[in-house]
Amino acid sequence: MNLPKSVESGSTKKKSLIDSIGSFFTSVRTAIALLFLLAAVSIIGTVIPQDSALDQIRQSAGSFSYRLVAILDLHKVYRSWWFVLLLVLLSLNLVGCLIRRLRVIPQEWAGGSEKNSFSFGLSVSRPLKEVCDTVVLVINRILRISPQISEKGDRITIVWSKHRIYLLGFPLIHIAIIIILLGAVIGLAYGFKGTIQIKEGTSGNRFTLIPSGQVASLSFDIALEGFTLVRYPTGEPKEFRSDVRILKNATEEAKGAIRVNQPLTFEGISLYQSDYRLLGIKEVKLGVSDHGETTDLVLQPHSTVMVPGTEYTIGLISLDPGATKRGAGVEISVEKSGEQPRTIKLFRKDSAPVTLGSIEIRFLDYQPLYATGLQIGYDPGAQVVWVGCALLILGLFISLFTNLRRIHIDITGEAGRTEIGISGRSRKMRREFRETVEMKVRQALQDN
Amino acid sequence: MTSTELNTLVAFGYMATAVVYLVAYIVGGAKSRFLIIAAVLFITIWGLHTGAIAFRWIESYQLGIGHAPLSNLYESLVFFAWAMALALLVVRFRFGADIIVVFGLPLVFLVMASTFLVDGNIKPLIPALQSNWLVAHVITCFLGYAGFTSSFVAAVILLLAKGSQSAATYLPRMDILDDIVYRSVLVGFPLLTLGIVTGAAWADYAWGTYWSWDPKETWSLITWLVYAAFLHARVTRGWSGGRTAVLSVVGFMAVLFTYFGVNYLPGLHSYF
Repeated sequence: MNLPKSVESGSTKKKSLIDSIGSFFTSVRTAIALLFLLAAVSIIGTVIPQDSALDQIRQSAGSFSYRLVAILDLHKVYRSWWFVLLLVLLSLNLVGCLIRRLRVIPQEWAGGSEKNSFSFGLSVSRPLKEVCDTVVLVINRILRISPQISEKGDRITIVWSKHRIYLLGFPLIHIAIIIILLGAVIGLAYGFKGTIQIKEGTSGNRFTLIPSGQVASLSFDIALEGFTLVRYPTGEPKEFRSDVRILKNATEEAKGAIRVNQPLTFEGISLYQSDYRLLGIKEVKLGVSDHGETTDLVLQPHSTVMVPGTEYTIGLISLDPGATKRGAGVEISVEKSGEQPRTIKLFRKDSAPVTLGSIEIRFLDYQPLYATGLQIGYDPGAQVVWVGCALLILGLFISLFTNLRRIHIDITGEAGRTEIGISGRSRKMRREFRETVEMKVRQALQDN
Repeated sequence: MTSTELNTLVAFGYMATAVVYLVAYIVGGAKSRFLIIAAVLFITIWGLHTGAIAFRWIESYQLGIGHAPLSNLYESLVFFAWAMALALLVVRFRFGADIIVVFGLPLVFLVMASTFLVDGNIKPLIPALQSNWLVAHVITCFLGYAGFTSSFVAAVILLLAKGSQSAATYLPRMDILDDIVYRSVLVGFPLLTLGIVTGAAWADYAWGTYWSWDPKETWSLITWLVYAAFLHARVTRGWSGGRTAVLSVVGFMAVLFTYFGVNYLPGLHSYF
């Protein structure tokens, strides 16, 4: 039947368009191009400050830059539509290449492909059995495994197959990357992050979401029993620690310490020690000496205390952590019925005490009141990402440290002469493998 | 003697070794017997370097602020130089290519010498750095960088040999250089992957975010992507010779920017 040419060419053109789209997504060239593209555009996000408000950019940069940033979302590159598109394209490309490669693995595993194999033949005047034993010995030493030997009539076939696990390397690596991307998506979709400040001795459950700034509530209360700040002798912070209790409906469900690098997790939500703020004073310790007897007197904010053995009442006015030679300073109010109320300043490093009538007062120490800054995080995708990372490392390990190698030998003997046909295959370092096998076999069978 | 003084000695030791290597190569060529003396000297200095790092670790405990010597710019430079020297040694013995050492040792010296410009005092660790992940992350990253450095050195030599016929007569065969360029990346890439993963795990423990696109993290990913492209080009597309050498150089530029360049951008990883 005579089909008009135009129809014929039309139908083949349509097929090849789909084909070319398909081959775009299964081609390694696409992968390489996408990898470079992703690398190049990621640079943008490191030179343009990210997450700064558009208005800030409008003020600081010119109007052209502002418009460029606004249109292309350059202030949030990694969340922009085109960056996500690149990642989607890469994922599709990955899936395409994976499907194509996975299809041939079962056949390869079973022993298939003749691709990239070498072969050579030998003819020696030695008995069949001796030749068989010799080659088996030689190849066993090279590959360090034992073969499968089969006999069919007058032909012996010996097959070695080493490190088939190598075939899993590529799929593992690439499936792992897909899993990691998946975990990231899950985290972005279902996770959240926020910050909360809690004053010592109080509890809280309302926190600020990052980056939106909205306020949300946790399903439990965090009660800050105490915040400890330890410094090195040089003054730098050594440890921040928040001792917390987790309460639900006023009952304690958990308690523990939150340190930097040691978060506390409750019901899947993790609390991280982020920072702290000095809010004020918890208490001040004074040393009171009355005729030689010294006792400690503790002062707390917003309260007055009677100095034992006198009629003075003192109260705390303010504390200055102080950077002078005299150290921290505390200001106290002194009252006695019949006398004018006055204020006294005491410094930590003063050698002489302050006299109040018959008693001497020294400023011993103070405990600051802190508010702890905790970071709150919930990321259900994180575990998925870690699984992906583990598979990625495993896949790289397999690809690096294993090498699929096969040797196939056919031996036939007839009237005093033995014919040997050897073919071999190696996924990596092919030339070395071929040279080694050929040299060792020829050497061992050398008498011809 | 302090570890800082030891490191200074090591730096000049590397410089001396570089000179010995160069003289040996010029005088006797690739098969010169002086190169064996140079190799022994190299191993000795590297051994001293290893000792200096161990000594600094012990020193920190003696000062009461014990931690692995990997916590600031000074210590990371010393470790990077150590890892680079190790990579050069491995390549030299695996491939018999002394020329890699001739070209690579000056780089090692340069990195050690740059420590003279940086504060070498042992400092206590701030809370964020008090983590075992620090040790894992820094070691894997710098071992990865070392692999990429040896690839870079071989790539430069390869491009030199390609560009000049007369130079090529003094340099090893192209296929050996090509092999070194490729195999070094094969070692460096999984190490960098481990480095990025341990960094992400650490970030997760410290801040609850395993990836926050900060410049250092992003640039380490850029480096990873470039070398991934390299491996694909080589393994699947059959690229070799000059083309992969150029890719190796590009990748190394990314490594340098990831290590040093990001300090000039605002962010969490700044040493400054």
